[in-house]
Amino acid sequence: MADNILEVRDLKKYFKTPRGQLHAVDGVSFSIQRGQTLGIVGESGCGKSTTGRCVLRLIEPTSGQVLFDGEDLLSLSSREMRRRRCDLQIIFQDPFSSLDPRNTVMQTIAEGVRMRGKYKTRAQVEGRVLELMETVGLAERLVNSYPHELDGGRRQRIGIARALAVEPKLIVCDEPVSALDVSIQAQILNLLKDLQRQLGLTYIFITHDLAVVNHISDEIMVMYLGQVVEKAPSEELFRAPSHPYTKALLSAIPIPKVGGERKRRILLKGEVSSPIEPGDECRFAKRCAYAGQVCREGCPGLRELSAGHVAACHKLGADGEMVP
Amino acid sequence: MQDKAASGTLAPEEPVLDIQHLTVHYVLEEETVEAVNDISIRLEKGRILGLVGETGAGKTSTALAALNLIPDPPGVIRSGSVKVCGRDMLRMSQQELEQIRGRDVSMIFQDPMTSLNPVFTVGEQIAESIRLHTDCTASEAMERAGDMLELVGIPRERAGEYPHQFSGGMKQRVVIAIALACSPKVLLADEPTTALDVTIQAQVLDMMIALKEKLDTAMIFITHDLGVVAEICDEVAVMYAGRVIERGTLDDVFNHTKHPYTEGLFNSLPDIQDRTAALRPIPGLMPDPTRLPKGCAFAPRCPYASPACIETVQTERAFSETHTVMCSAYEDPAFHIRREEV
Repeated sequence: MADNILEVRDLKKYFKTPRGQLHAVDGVSFSIQRGQTLGIVGESGCGKSTTGRCVLRLIEPTSGQVLFDGEDLLSLSSREMRRRRCDLQIIFQDPFSSLDPRNTVMQTIAEGVRMRGKYKTRAQVEGRVLELMETVGLAERLVNSYPHELDGGRRQRIGIARALAVEPKLIVCDEPVSALDVSIQAQILNLLKDLQRQLGLTYIFITHDLAVVNHISDEIMVMYLGQVVEKAPSEELFRAPSHPYTKALLSAIPIPKVGGERKRRILLKGEVSSPIEPGDECRFAKRCAYAGQVCREGCPGLRELSAGHVAACHKLGADGEMVP
Repeated sequence: MQDKAASGTLAPEEPVLDIQHLTVHYVLEEETVEAVNDISIRLEKGRILGLVGETGAGKTSTALAALNLIPDPPGVIRSGSVKVCGRDMLRMSQQELEQIRGRDVSMIFQDPMTSLNPVFTVGEQIAESIRLHTDCTASEAMERAGDMLELVGIPRERAGEYPHQFSGGMKQRVVIAIALACSPKVLLADEPTTALDVTIQAQVLDMMIALKEKLDTAMIFITHDLGVVAEICDEVAVMYAGRVIERGTLDDVFNHTKHPYTEGLFNSLPDIQDRTAALRPIPGLMPDPTRLPKGCAFAPRCPYASPACIETVQTERAFSETHTVMCSAYEDPAFHIRREEV
């Protein structure tokens, strides 16, 4: 039996809008094994960030279950949840707005260290902060710096140190490198991988950058308009994408290579439709080249194609090929 | 329909855009930001040049200077010339500039959400650009605005809608339609697809290539995404700390990389075809543009740097007719970088 640190079952988050219910996350289920990385990809508005935040209850889900080490987080009182958050942390996209501008590096990280409650005296706490700064590669001389004095890469390192301060088991990384230049992005990705190896962390890695997600994840989940359309081990997903949306998404990635054979790009028609009252049809049908009557009549469920590889498409045959 | 003023005439082999020895500084109270340092770029008709570099490399300042749009103060164009179709943008009156901008040279900005006026319909905004540069009636201009919308793949019926009724990708198409409304010879596109999702980016890139072929517009395509460069550009110029440190055709720069910084950029990218390949980031950070090192600006981060690199300013060295590199390590004929030639 797999050692699942997290199991999410039928997670839903609807927002009320003047024009009706907005289905941000609509029946998402997944699980993650301890020490692994699950990548969640999809385009703006597909619900990937909302899913990450619902897992931590930073956004209160409408319904569903979030089992962390077997305990349903959604059944906890807000006080119990506060204590539980030491096990689950988040790193945000924008290191410019996610740090308190009035706190120094020391104050920012020390807050988390005290929260855990393991270190009591001031000297112990400060010692631990310096240890964490070393772990994430921040020079000790920066200990009294304020966020505005530092560049994006260093700020993101503070964000990581702050998350590590409470000694979490699982970290939701919400686009942690999207705001950084490639040379700095590579430094942070390597750091996250090293930390995972050293500390046995589990990551949910949310991003729209497919090259990054492929590099860091063990498994990848592709979302479209609040639903999971495909999930597979990373290598499998890139080798044999099954859902028409995944295929189009992967083919749209610009590859920084010149010469040799250029892959054929699948251009999608139109744009993502509205997530407000989406109705009971396949949400991708309007842009899908394979869509037929059956796609407009009902929403497809996830089906297993091979071990660990699931996809939600009516037109997908048992052999993984599209049925016309 | 006739243009209000004749645009500059060109000999066939003359570049449509010729930037020579451009230097742009931002003079602040206590310090001077050396954003662009002695850059020269030539662009021929119908070619797309990718201008690549990280935040603060001076890409956008170069493009703004090419339109003589550097905010002054604090910006100062210290030296250089920018010839669009043979006429120097930096030595023109305000009135001449207003005529040439939008007609011979246009610019597209990164963020489509903020470059449209929310209180005018998209049709009016395209027509405005057409009326400024041609003698035509309001209804003729609206008619042409509709044609432009169709050209960028938006039904002309939507000309009466306001920007907020369009999605991000559609807004960027409208911005492109405005920029191309008068068939400019040169288009400066500053990260035009960065704010878009990949599937929408693919649509917009495809459309831009088709438009270039149709209108024969030369483009400078500013981006930090080497993948996009490989998709759309003919030539590449890599910028670091306000200088072009390597330039050449796509094949030159991607397959016969010479500069250590360009090598570092490629090594930092996750390889989508090989997920186990380790990332080898460039150590350290970009130099502070108010305190650039006196020698090569990349030397402090460069694995090949010698004491000479830190002391002396590098000069441009040509490896072929198209491929030039700024790196003094090549003084030693045996020097080569580790990246293998493809």
